[in-house]
Amino acid sequence: MIEFLVNLILFLMLIATALAVISVRRLFAVVMLSGAFSLLSALLFVTLDAVDVAFTEAAVGAGISTVLMLGTLALTTRNEKAKTRSPMIPLAVVTVTGAAIMYGTLDMANFGAADAPAQTGVAAQYLQRSPDDIDVPNVVTGILASYRGYDTLGETAVVFTAGIGVLILLSGLGSRRRRSDQDEENT
Amino acid sequence: MIDLVQEILGWVFILAGSAVVLIGGFGTWRLPDFWARLHGASITDSAGVILLITGMCFKAGLTLITVKLIIIGIFLFITGPTAGHAIANAAWVTGLRPTEGDGLQSDAADTPGGSDD
Amino acid sequence: MFVVATAALFVAMIFVMIRLYAGPTLYDRVVAVNSFGSQTVLLIGILGFLSGRPDFLDIALLYALINFVGTIAVLKFFRYRAIGDISQNPQSGGAAND
Repeated sequence: MIEFLVNLILFLMLIATALAVISVRRLFAVVMLSGAFSLLSALLFVTLDAVDVAFTEAAVGAGISTVLMLGTLALTTRNEKAKTRSPMIPLAVVTVTGAAIMYGTLDMANFGAADAPAQTGVAAQYLQRSPDDIDVPNVVTGILASYRGYDTLGETAVVFTAGIGVLILLSGLGSRRRRSDQDEENT
Repeated sequence: MIDLVQEILGWVFILAGSAVVLIGGFGTWRLPDFWARLHGASITDSAGVILLITGMCFKAGLTLITVKLIIIGIFLFITGPTAGHAIANAAWVTGLRPTEGDGLQSDAADTPGGSDD
Repeated sequence: MFVVATAALFVAMIFVMIRLYAGPTLYDRVVAVNSFGSQTVLLIGILGFLSGRPDFLDIALLYALINFVGTIAVLKFFRYRAIGDISQNPQSGGAAND
């Protein structure tokens, strides 16, 4: 009962933050609100017992994303431009897609059910063999680093490339624009 | 006997910490000026953290959990007020000044969504 | 009694979120996010005790670190590359003097 209430309140706060992100016009406030949104998601992952995912969500969403979006804000405007077209068609598309997704989840196995595909596949073998093979107390870390190591290698390469790209974009553009403005003023 | 004392101390500290966090949050919402709200937020960072972490340590007894809680408590106690000071310094340097006078009203732009330029 | 602490923390988080939504200056919002982060750290600790698994304190420690570093990063960013929200007389900080 208590856990149900905690989950309910966290989800309601998530919805309220999402509505605030949509309705607020000043972009800096939107960035701070999405930082709070990531924090709430990390709390939800903690209540679902997924601590590693909560680590990642807190580090990426509330730490790095906020700072990177602020860096981007320095290159664009402070306020969101007013919408000129009517939102009816996008609203209809989003509603139909959301309804289809919700209909699709009716077929999913319940959380923690014993006959779910996640429990009867390779996971049981990993759980049995990991104390002998790897001997690390956290099985998730063992799977990420050893059984599915190539996945982790690919993800690290992707994230590193993305980070380099973002740094190049954010650091060079501002000073080049300022220099070109000064050149225009001098001529 | 020691267990009973430990339980009671744990409850007392956790209740006191909850009250302080609630008061700090209420202050952050309702105080009329940025500088006053900074005071309200720092109450949670300093007193709320110490009381709640002490209460949780009493409830957990002498285990590894208490060591982790003490590390978290020390870290939050050092960095919370530092962050508050950094915010106040940044606000002062960029020109924000306290509104003065008697009968302080809320900021004129205290509407949802901030002041839309 | 952990339920009381959880309820108090949730109510305080809702108050701080209202300030995050309605803060007129941007420093109000930075204060609100910093306070929200500290309350999240405390809530993770309390939720661990409530659900009987107080081993989640690692993520609470991580989040305390990230909250502090993030707040200081945002403030440094506004000192050196100000978006220009504060229109009162800016002093030697801020990019208004570039």
